[in-house]
Amino acid sequence: MNPPLQGTRSARAQDLAAFLARIAVGGLYVYMGLSKALYPVDFLKLLRQYNLFESALWLNIIAASLPWFEVFCGLLLLFGVAVRGTALVSLATLVPFTIVVWKRALVLQAASQIPFCAVRFDCGCGAGEVNICFKLLENSVLMLLSAWLLLTPRLRACLWPEPLTKLRLRSAGRVTP
Amino acid sequence: MGFHLAGAQPQRRIMNVFIEAFIVGAVGFAIAMVANSISPRGLSLTRNYFPPAPTQAASATNNAGAVASPALLATNASPENKLAERLAARGLRRIEFAEVRRLYEDPRREQELIVFVDSRNEQSYLEGHIPAAYHFDHYYPDKYLPAVFPACQQAETVVVYCIGGDCEDSEFASVYLVDAGIPAARLNVFAGGFEAWRTNGMPVEIGPRGSGELQQKKQ
Repeated sequence: MNPPLQGTRSARAQDLAAFLARIAVGGLYVYMGLSKALYPVDFLKLLRQYNLFESALWLNIIAASLPWFEVFCGLLLLFGVAVRGTALVSLATLVPFTIVVWKRALVLQAASQIPFCAVRFDCGCGAGEVNICFKLLENSVLMLLSAWLLLTPRLRACLWPEPLTKLRLRSAGRVTP
Repeated sequence: MGFHLAGAQPQRRIMNVFIEAFIVGAVGFAIAMVANSISPRGLSLTRNYFPPAPTQAASATNNAGAVASPALLATNASPENKLAERLAARGLRRIEFAEVRRLYEDPRREQELIVFVDSRNEQSYLEGHIPAAYHFDHYYPDKYLPAVFPACQQAETVVVYCIGGDCEDSEFASVYLVDAGIPAARLNVFAGGFEAWRTNGMPVEIGPRGSGELQQKKQ
């Protein structure tokens, strides 16, 4: 009936959804990151259970940096700085983490002979002991939201959403605020 | 806020996102390293918190900084046997509740010739520990070693414990004490740990060492 109005409403809904996605992912990263950063020894012990690193140096570097890195990415998303770049980093880290958690759950399942979705363990994700199927679902949602933030056409209520693109356009004299 | 960036070419924008992601990664990593070094709970990057037992080290690939395999992954033998093997390889002795109780009731404990060392974290220690046990969280040795090291030096027998079960902190705390100069023959790892102590109804001291606030025996 009224295409321009519908278009505006749809755009507003998209903007609101993108904003909420950013707050949700960013907030979760800050919370999960801080809960690990405040107790780095607990995170170190959990990380060791994955048997990913033979070298103590690498194990320590990952355990020391990952929680704070998560907090940093969460803050960038919350404040809307370098949103697409951060969303790409989020995706690039979530995919391997999810695979690693899934593989560990398979090992635990094989050892305890229980259904996969009955496996519960502290994956070192920052929320304590969790059900594996819930964790995989949560990570899938986070990946989808990160992908959406990466691809969404507009980013609203952001401090500095695409600094590099903006700087380059400004230098080319093509920015329209 | 919000800028219309339709003026940018799609390929250039995609490249920008990748560069942005790289910058976020690099800056984030740098900030994380600084935050870890500033934090009082920060980790030492160069220390091996989980040194492998000599038998494990021999099977590891020529890597001096190799990490011991987690106890939870040891599936081809019972955890008790694995622990006994590892402790024996380190020159440490594993002891059970009956012996720990005997040592606790030994009058030499009053003279600090028998010393108990709690290797759990601070919160767990303050919530309850074996009466008069020293606290030694081996992840932060600088904080605890000045008190625990002289006590272990003058003791004839040292009993180190953590929570029990899969907990390996007592093992690694003992290894740290041996490296610091305490003879391994003096050190005994209480395998059942604090859980076994508590479930057997033994007295528990709450708060800091020597607080005198005791939970009474249930038996």
